[in-house]
This record gives sequence, C-alpha cells and structure tokens, in this order.
Amino acid sequence: MAHARNDSEAGPIVLRDVTVRYGRRTALEGVSGEFPPGSLTAVVGANGAGKSTLLAAIAGRLRLVGGSVQLPAGSRLGFLPQRAAIDPDYPLTVAELVTLGGWRRFGAFRSPQASVRTEAMEAAATVGLGGSLKRRIVTLSAGELQRALFARLMLEEPAVILLDEPFAAVDAQTTTVLLDQLARWHRDGRTVIAVLHDLALVRAWFPTTLVLARRCVSWGPTESALPALAS
Amino acid sequence: MMHALLIAPFETLGFMRTALVACAALALANGAIGTLLVLRRMTLDGDVLGHAVMPGAAIGFLYGGPSAGWLSLGGLASGLAVAALAGLAAGRRARDDAGLVAFYLVALSLGVVLITWRGSNADAMRVLFGTVLAIDHRALIQIAAISSVIVLAVAALYRPFAVGAIDPTFLRAMRPLLPYQAMFVVLVVLALVASFQAFGTLLALGPMLLPAAAACRWRLGVAASIALAVLFGLAASLAGLLISYHANLPSGPAIVLTAGSLFVVSHALQGAMQFVWGRA
Repeated sequence: MAHARNDSEAGPIVLRDVTVRYGRRTALEGVSGEFPPGSLTAVVGANGAGKSTLLAAIAGRLRLVGGSVQLPAGSRLGFLPQRAAIDPDYPLTVAELVTLGGWRRFGAFRSPQASVRTEAMEAAATVGLGGSLKRRIVTLSAGELQRALFARLMLEEPAVILLDEPFAAVDAQTTTVLLDQLARWHRDGRTVIAVLHDLALVRAWFPTTLVLARRCVSWGPTESALPALAS
Repeated sequence: MMHALLIAPFETLGFMRTALVACAALALANGAIGTLLVLRRMTLDGDVLGHAVMPGAAIGFLYGGPSAGWLSLGGLASGLAVAALAGLAAGRRARDDAGLVAFYLVALSLGVVLITWRGSNADAMRVLFGTVLAIDHRALIQIAAISSVIVLAVAALYRPFAVGAIDPTFLRAMRPLLPYQAMFVVLVVLALVASFQAFGTLLALGPMLLPAAAACRWRLGVAASIALAVLFGLAASLAGLLISYHANLPSGPAIVLTAGSLFVVSHALQGAMQFVWGRA
C-alpha cells in the first residue's frame, strides 16, 4: 500500500542553531544537526528538555528566536502531537477519522474517492481496527484512538513523520502494533522522528538517538548517544 | 376547541403569523449553527458574541432610530470587531474566560447607557429582550435572508467546520485555502444578529443554543442532531408563541422557556435511558 519515497527530491532536515524561548524561559538553545532522509531517530531527555518544542519547531508550529529549520523542498510533513488535541465526544466514526488522512486528495468539498476509502479500510485493518470501522470515536480506548490516528497518518503519506510520545498512555499490545507500523515507514524510506521516554524501546528499535537537555547533549548512533543520558 | 387553542391565534392575527414565520426561519439557521456551536464547545464564545452585538446595535439605534436595518448593521459590525479582537477566530482552546466575561458585562452596560441616552426605557427593553410580535415585513425578509445564507454556508462548509471542531491542529496542518474557523465565527455573529431582532441581546443565544443542546443530548450523528435541533426549535417557537398568546406572557421569554424545558426533558430522558439500559 505504501509507496517508497526515495525520490531524488528527498534531502535531509537541517537544523542550524535552533533557539526557542517561551517568554523568558529558554526551551531550546542552539540545536544544530541533520536528520538524513529515511532516518529513524528517537528524541529523548528529561521533562522540560525541549523535546516537544523541537518537534513543533520542525513542524513549523512556532517561531524561532534564532537559527533555522530547513526541510527538503516540497516534502510532506505528518505530525502527531502528544495526546492529539482530538475532541473524542464529536460524533465521528473510526472510518471517517481515518479517511480524513486523505484530505489533500479530496479537500474540503469533494467526497472521498473510492480509492481513499479502500485505503482507509486497509490502514485501519493494519493497526487492528478492521472490525471497528463503524464505532464512534467516543467508545475507543486511548490505545485504540492512537491506532486510529496512526492509520490516519498512513493515509497522509508524509515523507517526514513527527511523533510526540506516541506510546504514552497506550497498552503494550498497541505499542507492538504501532512499532510495526513505525518499522514499515522506516522501510519505505520515510524520515521518522519520535519523542520517547522508554529507553529500552529506543535501544531496541531506533538506530539513531538525539539526547536533549535544552541544548543538544548527544546525537548519533543510539548505542553511543544514549549513555550520555544514563550517566 | 383545538382550533381555538392552536389555529385561531395565527388565523386572526397577522403579527402572530409573521412571528411564527420569523421563528421558523431562525430555527432552521439556529439548528445548524447551534449544533456546531455545542459540538465545538464554543457556547461561551456564543454568549460573548451575543452581548458583543449590543453596543453596535445601540450605536445603530442612535444613528438610525429603531429600524431593523441600522440595528443589525451596527450589531454585525461590533460583533465582528469583538470576534476579531478576542481572537475567537484563531481557534485557540485556552482562553481568557475572565477577560471575556468582563468584556461582555461592559458591552451590555455600554449598550444600555447608549440607548437610554437618546431613547426610552422601552427602547432599551426592546434591544435587551427583542420584540417577536413586532417584527415587520422588512425585518422578516432580513431574518429569512440571513437564515438562508447561513443554512447554505453550513451545508457547503460542513466538512471543514466539523474537522476544525474535532481536531483543529489537523485542519491547520492540511493548510486549507480558506480561514474556516473565522468563517464559522462570522456565521455565528450573523445568526445572532438575525436572532437579535426577535429575541434581543440577552435572549438571542437561547433559541440557538437550547434546541441544539437538547438535540445533542441524544448522541446522534451530526446531521441527525441538526435536524432534531431544527425540529425542537420549531416546536419551541410554536408552543412558546401559543403560550404567550393564551397566558398573556412576553413571547420571547416564553419561547426560550419552552426550548429550555425541551433541554431539561431531553437531559432527564437520556439520563433515565442510560440508567435503565446502562448504555452511554
């Protein structure tokens, strides 16, 4: 279902001296480095280390005080914020939520194409929600909602995927399903950056790790980058 | 007997017919806007905008006297200005509630002061509580026109409105061509201006919110909720007008009270059903 994304257009995401402040508080200070195309990176660090801020900065959601974020030209960004600000009470079904991932193909007015609907069903099946398409999102558990949001992200076909604590408040079985999807995205050649706090999980699944403490503590292959946090 | 109770008031009195048609037109627009307002958790914003219409309407009154056109134009202008100033259109979830409430108290008082400065207490009452039974044909046409625009706009823009309600971050990430959040707020102000003619600035939100809140209690899909809200709005208008006629009560509050009782009944019935069948 997923198409490989090793297009020639794909370049790295380049951070140059990225600095962000909230009022007087410095959230990020002079972070520089590169996420090569197709890389799978975990961003770790203590609370308040600027992990979510870094993702928001890459997604272009906040204004930098200094530095720059350079994205490969024309690359599509998929962003799943922490505890996505979804209103679960809205009378919406799983199928409708997942189908929204194809928004760029049908927009605000047209009805979703048959191909998008099929893709949505397949994506829902991939994350184990194949039998829940007609359920209202209000009836979903935190894990099931996260599965649905992953399925929606699959339909967005992003070249760059930003995930903020995707496995927080999610059961173990769901984590396994979502990690499989993460691995599939990685195999497709998409660039994946995920904020995580479970270091065992980072060691097992993520080749590259960025350790943050407002500034960049270490950034590189996980086995050499992670000890910087443990010590 | 039934005829005298239900039909005769509308048969014999032209202003009762006009009032009924105006309320029916409002019920159509209010059902759509009100349901989205409830689902988007924007009812407090609606309240603030309802009061924001007041100073503008007062200035319109000072300028053009008690004509529907000037009142609406002024109300529309100040409603939109406040929506822009308060950043309601930006779709932020975290708001300065105290600031909004402070603002609407000031707006209300300012409106009353402005109107009593040149007009009478009756004029102030009219702007505060509306005059359902004194709607003339020009006002009726204006209400019908605004309601039509609202119903068509909601029909056309339903999807972005819904997505903006469920997941505003996602909608922004899709980089939509039009500022849908702002467009929705404009429609809310328009609906309030239309409703203001009949129900005044204090009650304008009532016929918009109460039938919609009652309909949303039933946890149906969005389209069904809107349809039910319209139905509730029509029923409340008809019953409210009849009650006000037979019991000699003010008609605007009678309609709002009827809508309010529909909300209470819906809430109670839904609670009872949940208790009996144990389903959400």
